[in-house]
Order: sequence, then structure tokens, then C-alpha cells
Amino acid sequence: MKSGLITDIQRFSLNDGPGIRTTVFFKGCNMRCEWCHNPETICHQKEIMFYANKCIGCGKCFEICPAGVHKAVDGIHVIDREKCTLCGKCVENCYAEALVFSAKEMTSDEIMGEILQDKVYYTESNGGVTLSGGEVTCQKDFALELVEKCKENGIKTAVETNLLMPLESTKDLLSSLDLIMFDIKIFDNGKHKEHTGVPNTQILENAKKLDELGVPFIVRTPLIPGVTDDEENLVSIAKFLSPFKNILYYELLNFNPLGSSKYKSLDGEDKFENARPFTNEALKALEAKLSGFGVKIKVGG
Amino acid sequence: MIQFINQFPADKKFTYDERIALLRARKVEQTAQKAKNGGANEDDYGLIVQDEFDFKLEPSHPNGSIYGYRAWCSNYCRILQTHPLYVDPLDAFVGKGFLFLERLRPKDKKWNPDYPYDELQAIFNKYHIISGIDNCHHFTPDLQIGLDLGWGGILDKLKTERAKHDESHYEFYDAEIEVVENIIAFLTRCADELEELSGKENNSVLKANLADMAKMNRKIAAGVPETFKEVIQWLCWFSMLSRTYNRGSAGGQLDEMLRPYYERDVEKGILTDEDAIFYMACLFLQDSRYFQLGGPDANGNDMTSKVSYLALEAADRINIACNLTIRIHDNMDMEFFKKSVAYLFKNKQGWPRYSSDNNLVEGFMRCGYSKELARRRVAAGCHWMCIPGMEYTMNDTVKVNLAKVFEVAFDELMTLPSPSTEKLFDIYSKHLKVAVDATGAGIMHHLKYQTKSQPELILNLFQHGLIEKGVNITDGGANYYNMCVDGSGIAVVADSFAALEQRIEQENKLSYGELYTHIEANYEDKNGEYVRNLMYHSQRYGGGDTLGDKWAQKISVLYTSLVRDLCNQHKGVNFIPGFFSWSNTILLGSTVKATPNGRKKGEPINHGANPNGGFRKDGAVTSMCNSIAAVQPMYGNTAPVQLEVDPGIAGDEEGIEKMCAMILGIMKGNTLLNINIIDKDKILEAHKDPTKYPDLVVRVTGFTAYFAMLSEDFRQLVVDRILAVNGEE
Repeated sequence: MKSGLITDIQRFSLNDGPGIRTTVFFKGCNMRCEWCHNPETICHQKEIMFYANKCIGCGKCFEICPAGVHKAVDGIHVIDREKCTLCGKCVENCYAEALVFSAKEMTSDEIMGEILQDKVYYTESNGGVTLSGGEVTCQKDFALELVEKCKENGIKTAVETNLLMPLESTKDLLSSLDLIMFDIKIFDNGKHKEHTGVPNTQILENAKKLDELGVPFIVRTPLIPGVTDDEENLVSIAKFLSPFKNILYYELLNFNPLGSSKYKSLDGEDKFENARPFTNEALKALEAKLSGFGVKIKVGG
Repeated sequence: MIQFINQFPADKKFTYDERIALLRARKVEQTAQKAKNGGANEDDYGLIVQDEFDFKLEPSHPNGSIYGYRAWCSNYCRILQTHPLYVDPLDAFVGKGFLFLERLRPKDKKWNPDYPYDELQAIFNKYHIISGIDNCHHFTPDLQIGLDLGWGGILDKLKTERAKHDESHYEFYDAEIEVVENIIAFLTRCADELEELSGKENNSVLKANLADMAKMNRKIAAGVPETFKEVIQWLCWFSMLSRTYNRGSAGGQLDEMLRPYYERDVEKGILTDEDAIFYMACLFLQDSRYFQLGGPDANGNDMTSKVSYLALEAADRINIACNLTIRIHDNMDMEFFKKSVAYLFKNKQGWPRYSSDNNLVEGFMRCGYSKELARRRVAAGCHWMCIPGMEYTMNDTVKVNLAKVFEVAFDELMTLPSPSTEKLFDIYSKHLKVAVDATGAGIMHHLKYQTKSQPELILNLFQHGLIEKGVNITDGGANYYNMCVDGSGIAVVADSFAALEQRIEQENKLSYGELYTHIEANYEDKNGEYVRNLMYHSQRYGGGDTLGDKWAQKISVLYTSLVRDLCNQHKGVNFIPGFFSWSNTILLGSTVKATPNGRKKGEPINHGANPNGGFRKDGAVTSMCNSIAAVQPMYGNTAPVQLEVDPGIAGDEEGIEKMCAMILGIMKGNTLLNINIIDKDKILEAHKDPTKYPDLVVRVTGFTAYFAMLSEDFRQLVVDRILAVNGEE
């Protein structure tokens, strides 16, 4: 049995596909979007996260760390991440759970143990399981094993992917799903590379090929103030999507500001710390501008 | 008299919506006034705060209290003789009350001291048990009896039956007859006063309304209500009259009760749907009484009717604290259900709530009742069901403090060598048996002597066969005795067992002795907070297949078997287990010292069957509800789910669909679901300054209440629950 590196399993998830779902967050991503609101899922290895607001100041991590990673500098808890060997002693002894690992190795059976507990809700709501991340296809074999186990148990599956991997290598996984949700964040190739670290040519090409797989899909654009939210970008994407056969709708995802505390816990910088979600009125206005291109538009969270 | 006549120009006309808006505004104003008078952690009851009527109790005992038929009868009748009428000419009905006679007694002198239970009291004190002894009402009258007979018919029946009995029953009959005669006289006086006000009112619409009220009240003072409107006026008075006596009790199956009158009046052309909606809105305004809508009849057919829809719409129009329960069953009208969920999220006032027919019926049948009878048990109180006019139950009045029992057991464990959770469970079982047995004995003591303390002079009149028997309901007047015995604090106990097993026995993080030292020091000694965090973050009940869940199920099985064993100890009486705390979470936690789950001394116990706050990082509703489903005792009483959800999750049609699915999913394994739709930021703001939102309604436990009226510590509890299921972010 394979195991995967998982950052979180969120049950009663209402925003990651139809119905009531359990969302499994995979660790590791092959893009570097500046606004990522799940920064703990980016790196392919687990890291230590430190939530200062939970720290009770017991000092156990200072005492116990063999590498002297934890220090107090001017009364502030500082982690020397260069020295850290990820031995986990500090996490194990942090009873307040201020220090935690960003992910853990889990087998598909362990994950299924969580997933199966909510089966009645998937059935009632036409929901299921969503694999998210991070980028799920970075652990595609493990993801496929999980999807197959869901299928064996009559549970519908969906994936949220950036569609960056060559489709040939992920076809087995993608074709076995009930729904695919993928992002086209920026239509302009240069700008895409600037803000995500990769060009979008593979993504757009995969999108066309995906339409041939026959699996229904939803395309989304996260609305990032000043980056993705301009009319030109959104209209270009809507036009691009208009010939697709298996698209359910094109969804504008409102800006999610919840990444801030996670950036802090990883000593990272949140470039969008001061950005705020769009108002309902602004979302409605964007929705109106995108109508008429032959693709159904939806705005959501 | 408290009245609001001549407040509008003579020629002003009113739509129903205008009248509802004005009535609602007055209600909000009155609530704000109540809030200023201090916290009341309970139902609103529609009580009016006023200073015109100051009733003085005439004690029958040197201790200042009243006991027995005569004292209750004479004091109640004196109230009726002097109780002022409250009239709002905008309202379709009169029927507001100002006080509860039962609360005029000295608080610690409710039970007749001639019937002591000192030995039991010592056990109740040891385990902090709320015995229910002397608690009143908490069973359901069948109001159809009153609607069929009218007060005059009831009086005739009492007199006829008195003539058939010997003098040993005269005390009962004479008290009941005097009460009903005074009710009729009171209602007649109200009709006179309404007529007088009608003569004085300048506005033509309101004048006509007052004249109509006068006529209607004169008719139903003794007569049988015949129209939809007259029936609701009768129900309003029943509410006031029963509340004024002893705060009781629930309304029953509203839609089915009103349906024949609705259909008849519509056919006659004397009632429109708008009329019906307005009348029911006034009924809900008058009192926050519990009513059930929908659900199956005795044969399993759905009872949802046009009246059910109109009742929902009426509640929507008045949009205040309403205690409406929708019963979910296999043949349910899905459109009605969806409409109710849409209202729940639209108004965010905690109504309706949902009960599960399948689990309740199946459970009650395990007590030996037929399916037909089980289906007649309607939602009638905070967490309880009752067959109207058939049962005596003491529902929601008896609480065994499971957390206090744990404290006693844990202290005993620590006197023994080599403590373990296995040994602790044996000791806990022993103490819980003592606690439950004493509770059962207390219930029997209550049944034996309650008549000598507080006879049920109002609710007795609405029981099948009771008037014919000529005895109080606790003396054999009921058809069935299904005594409710609730356990409170299951999550504290389960989490404590789990924390001990995980941290001490599985992980060897510390020893029993070390932990006990910290507990004795309330985790305030050296390393105390560190250890408290260790214990607090153990595998909790509500987490989903955790150690906490395992222990909760084990405790549920133990508690259920102990309560059911009472049926063997006291033949002829059925004892039904449930898990509920009502609003006693603070009280029951106050006497319990620090516990191994990281809870500190005096902190509240968990609410009902809900897990403790922080039970799971994502606060997953599904996980919590599965855990509660797994501890249902399943004998017809409930272990309710108390759910707080953010309004944002059902902001559109798709969201409503998801919520419908969520509710149906929850009710697969559960018995009762109370939902608060609360904006986290709004509740935090209201907590800081309650007067800012006098109309903010929350479902506190089974009942809805105005947030502003809750005491600060209780508001904090509601806030904590809301934060618990909003995750840690």
C-alpha cells in the first residue's frame, strides 16, 4: 500500500465541489503562485509551523531541541530553519500544539478511515471526496489509489488541479474521476510566468485535451486583486472556454485571505496580507461582464 | 389594565403586514426592557414585564410556601380575580400574562417539608443530581379536549364526575371546579373590558377589532370555540392560564389541530389565507410555545397540510423567537421541508428545528409501545417528546451529573494502588449506579407526594380519562408514566477517560500520581498549564472514531443500562434515558473540580450530548453529529445535536440544498437537531454590547431566546459553541 504526504483532511467541506464533501489536501506543488492561501502545501517536504498565539511559553522546545533550532531573540520565538533536521522532538513535546508539522505520511486506508465516516452525507447531498492541494498530480499514483478505493466504496470523487503536468502522465487519474476542477489563472503567458513561476502553454493545451476525456469539469480563476481580476484577463479566459463541450461552468473564486496566519507560522511573507475579498456587488459586476461568451459563469467562494 | 388604545388617527387603515411590523416593534422594545432587568437563561414565554399588578402569595405553610390542592387553587383563583387584561388593539387576540404562580413561592421551599427525602438528598448532593422532585408540568396536554368541550364543558364534566365519586376525591374535584369557574369568570371580565375599550377607541379599524375580540371572548369564556380564529384565541388563553399557574406547557401538533377549522372556515368563505397567517403570527407573538409541524399520522401518512405551510409563513412574517419543530420522516413532504430550511437560513432566528421520526419511534417502541402510539409522541419541549394527554414524564427536569460522578470515582481511584482506566471504569460504574438508583427513587418519591406539594390543576384537565378518575396526574391520572432521566456532561467524562488512556497508559507521558497532583492544584502549579494542554489535546469525543468517541459510547451503554434497570426496580413505571443538560451547563460544572480532559475547576460541562469545544481542528459538523448519533440511548427520548452554522454556507439555492442534505444526513442517526444560524462577527459584537441587538434570537438549548436576555456567562457559552464549529483559523 502506498502512502502520501497529506497536510490536512477537511470534512464537511462545502466549497470544493458539489454537495457535502471531504477534502484531502496533498502536499507539494509544481507552481509558485504568489497569492497561494495554502502555503503549507507548497513545499514537497513537511516543515515545522509555529503558531505564536497558541504558545504558552513553557520553553520545552528550547530545552529539548538537539540542534538548537529554537531561540528567543528579543523576546520573540525564532526558528533557525537551516539547522532544523525535522526530528520532530519539539513538535512531540509541544502540548499546546503551537508547533506542528505541516503534513504527515498517511496510507490510503488511513485516509479512507476518515472519508468513510461521512458516507451518509455524500449520499444525501450528491457529494463525495475532493483531492486538493498543493498539486494532487505531484503524488498522482497515490491519488489514483485513493480514488480507486473511493470508487470501490461508491463514493464520488473530484480533483482540484492546476493541470500543469502533461496530460498523458495523469490521464489514468483524471479519467477515473467524476469531476475535475482546474484553474486558468492568467491568460497572458508572460504574466502567468511572472506570477506563478511557470508558463501556461501546457495548461491551455491540457485543457483542450481534457475536453476529449469526457469527464465533466469546472474551470476557475481565483480573483487576485491587481493580478487576475482585470476584465481583459477574464474575458480572454471566457472566450477560450467557449468551444469546450464538457465544461459545466467557469467560476470566479473570490480572494481568500486566510493564508496570512499560515505564512507567519512558516516565517514566510504574505504578499497579499492587506488584500480583501471582493464585495458581492463587485463579483456580480464581473459576472455580468463575462456573460455572452457561450460559457456559464458562476461566482463563488 | 394595560392597553394601547387611541394611538393612531381615527381614519388610519392597516394592512396585516403593518400590524405585524408594529406588534413586532413593540415586542422588541419589551425584550430590550426585559434585558435591562437582567439575565434570564431560559425561554421568553411571551411574559410581559409590568408594574401595575403586584400579586402577593397567601402561604398555606409557616415556611411561606403553598402546598396541596386548596392552597394552589385559592392563590390561582385570587390571581384570576385581579389579573389585569393586556390589550393591544393591533393584535388579533388577547392573552398576555405577567407572572408564574409557581415562582412566587420561596425558592428553597417548593417541596412540602412533611414529605422529606433527606437520605436521597445526601446522594443528590454528593453527585450534584438535579432530582426533578417538585418540578412541575413537563408533559403535554391534549388541547383538543379543551377545544371540543370549552371551559364550560370541562366544568360540566368535572361536576358530573364528582357526583359519581366518593368524598376521597372531593378535594381534587372541588379545587378543579373552582379553578375552572374562576377561569370562566376571568374570561368573561376580559370580554366586558374589551367591549368597554372598543367604545373608547377612536380608530375605526381598531374599534371594530376590539368589538370582535369582545364578542369572541364572551363566546369562548365558557363555550366551544368554533372558528379558526376562535380556536387560536382559545389557545392564547390556554397558554396564559397554564403559564400563570406553573409555566406549562407545550402546544402539540399545531397544523393538525387547526386544519379542520381552517378547512371549514375557508369553505364557508369566512377565512382567507392572509387572515390565517395573521392569526397564527399573533399566536406566535403571544407565546414562544412549542409546536410541531408535519410528521406522520398514526399510520405513517404525512400530516403536512396547507396549514403547515401557512404556519411557517406566519412565523416568517412575525420572525421572533418561535419554537417550531419539523418532524422528518420517510414520507415527508420534501417541498415543505425545503421551505422550512430556507426560512431557517433567511431569518436566522433558530426556527424551525428538526426531529427524527424513525429514530424516535423505533426507540419508543423498544419500551414496549406500538408504532401507532409512538408516532403520536410530538415534539413538545426543549429536547423532549410526549403523547398529548396520555403521558406523565418529568421530561427535562431530571439531570444526573455524569461529570460529578466521575470526580467522585476518580478521587476513589487515586486511593488505590496501580490506577488504570479499567479500574476507574469499574469504580465509575459503581458510583453511577448509586446515582441513577437514587434518581429513580427520587422520581418515585416525587410521584408519590407531588400532589401534596403542587397538583397540576390546569394540565390535569387535558388528560384522557383523568377527570373520570378524579385524581391528580401523579396519582395514577396519566395513562403512561415514561420518566425522563437525562445524563449531563458525557463529553467531559468521555474526554477524561480518553485523556487518561492516551497520555498515561498508551504514551507514558506522565503518571496518574503526577496528573492527580496537577488536578488537585487546578493545573495552576508548576508545569500545570503544560500538562493541562497535553490532556486537553487528547483524542476527543466528536473527533470521529477517536478514543473519546469510544469512551462516550461505552458510557452511553452503561448509563442506558442503569436507567433501564430502574424499570425492574419500580414496576409499572418506565424510565427513559437521554443526554441533555438544558441550560444547566454552568450550574452542573460549577461544583466539579478540574478533570483529566484539561477542563479547569468550575468550568461548565459540555452542552447536552455535544462534544466539548475544540473537539476537532476543522470543527466538522459531520464528525460531531456522527459522534452524537453513536451515543443515542434509543428508547424514544433524545440526545440532541446543538448545531451552530455560519449563514454564509447557505447563501444561495445550492447552499440551501446542501443544508437540506446535511439535515437529512444528521437525522439518519440522531433524534433531534437544534440549529443556530449565526454570523460569528455579529454574535461577538452582540456579546460585547447586547443592547445593540435586542431582536437577535439564538437557540440556547432546545429553546430559542433573545441573546440580549441571557446572562453574560451564558452568552459566553453560546459564543464558545459558535467558535468551536468555525474551526481554529
